[in-house]
Amino acid sequence: MSQGLILEGVHFAYGNTPILDNIQLNLPPGQFVSLLGASGSGKSTLLRLIAGLQPAGRGRLFWAGRPIKGPGLDRGVVFQDYALFPWMSVVDNLALAIGKARPDTRAAERSEAARQALRRVGLEDALDKYPFELSGGMRQRAAIARALAVGSPLLLLDEPFGALDPVNRARLQDVLLEVWEAATPKTTVVFVTHDVDEALYLGQRVVILGSTPGRVIADLNVPFSGHRDRRALFASSDFQQLREQIAETLAEDTLRQLTPA
Amino acid sequence: MSSAASTLTPPAQPGFSGLRRLARPLLRVAEASLIWLLALAAWFAAARYLPLGRNPLVPSPEVTLRALIEALPELWQGTLSSFSILLPGFALASVLGIASGLAVGSSPRLQRMCFPFARVAAPVPPTVFIPYAIAILPTFKLSAIFVVFIGAFWPIFQNAAAGAHTLEARWRDNARILGLRGWEYQRRVVFPAALPHIFSGMAVGLGFSFILLTVAELFGANAGLGRFVQYYADFADYPKMVAGILYTGLVTYLAMTVLERVKHRALFWVR
Repeated sequence: MSQGLILEGVHFAYGNTPILDNIQLNLPPGQFVSLLGASGSGKSTLLRLIAGLQPAGRGRLFWAGRPIKGPGLDRGVVFQDYALFPWMSVVDNLALAIGKARPDTRAAERSEAARQALRRVGLEDALDKYPFELSGGMRQRAAIARALAVGSPLLLLDEPFGALDPVNRARLQDVLLEVWEAATPKTTVVFVTHDVDEALYLGQRVVILGSTPGRVIADLNVPFSGHRDRRALFASSDFQQLREQIAETLAEDTLRQLTPA
Repeated sequence: MSSAASTLTPPAQPGFSGLRRLARPLLRVAEASLIWLLALAAWFAAARYLPLGRNPLVPSPEVTLRALIEALPELWQGTLSSFSILLPGFALASVLGIASGLAVGSSPRLQRMCFPFARVAAPVPPTVFIPYAIAILPTFKLSAIFVVFIGAFWPIFQNAAAGAHTLEARWRDNARILGLRGWEYQRRVVFPAALPHIFSGMAVGLGFSFILLTVAELFGANAGLGRFVQYYADFADYPKMVAGILYTGLVTYLAMTVLERVKHRALFWVR
């Protein structure tokens, strides 16, 4: 069995409403995958299943050769705006997570590791602040820093930059790519988004989920991943072609729902 | 341009807005003190003009103030005595109410076990326990502490349970992702998240504590604030009685203010 993330025939339903239908996915370790879909495609639900926050209705999920049975620190999660407890300072939030990941460390070591992780995402000035004192962008930096500090080999991100303005969003995309590229061995990343540009800019691979119920309708390799120059990339014809193709796939799926079967 | 500006700014007389800015804080003070002043004036008037004979039921403010100053040592002793009942009862109710409330609120099984009992037991007016508590417990002090405890316990318990029960799914998810469980989960997540509820419960509980304390003191105390008021009423010493009422009101207000301050500091992270 491969050591990556494997989903075999995963189904999920709320009551009688199917949310996910027969999801098959095989992610090799170290891959950065964008999970792209419209709202209602069940992409966040799929992420929750991988995180172990909810059990799948049918099908099997494996991470690193082991079946996923519940949440675990081998999988880090970054949500849209609530990875931090508001009653703890940023450093304490990270130190708490580090303490759970490495219970044998002393308090001073945890706090030092927390500070280090926060410095890596450019938050050296906000160490002892509380989440409510930070901007949305800074909070998401701290959330990424927490995932880094814990060092989970699989990172699950659920529209982590969805609430940010475009400038901050682009900046944090680059922060994420930087820390992902700097790590050895590479972290496996599942990045959920509904933004085509974001999916293409970040992912080595883009998995597209269709809506109602969610199922994989396309699985593309991104030939130009590893680029650094955002503007040149967005202007290139390769990028625009792929972008067109994805937009068409999504539009077809939307149309298919509108036409009665 | 100028016509647009004139439609935007209200036609103001020169100097008027400056005067207004100055007058606003004064107006605020006047608003806040209006009822106080009316009450005081009504008191002066009642004491002066009501025909009440030689031992007036309405002593004048000056007489009451003199009685208050005279009785201060006695009132201070009464405060100490009352607080030696109130504080243990309220503290015990807080500790047990928060601990059991959080535990019950975060466990569906404990909820199914405890709520059928709590729904019946909590609304019983704690004052009805006073005679029995006095009969059953060895000292008056213990029975009064017990009654204060019962009165403060239920609101604190119910609010703590509600706080734990309504814990937002995102904090629960976040805690599960980090693998927080058991005592650590309660202490680092459930307790702080439920603090706004807990403080509401404690404020209600503290109010009940004062009510029950003073009622219990009417039954069998030989010291205390409620006892002070009852004692001088028995002797028809109304200046001292009124002084005792005002003093008790002040003490209650101060205790509530202290709790409010603690809450304000503890909940700094709630916007």
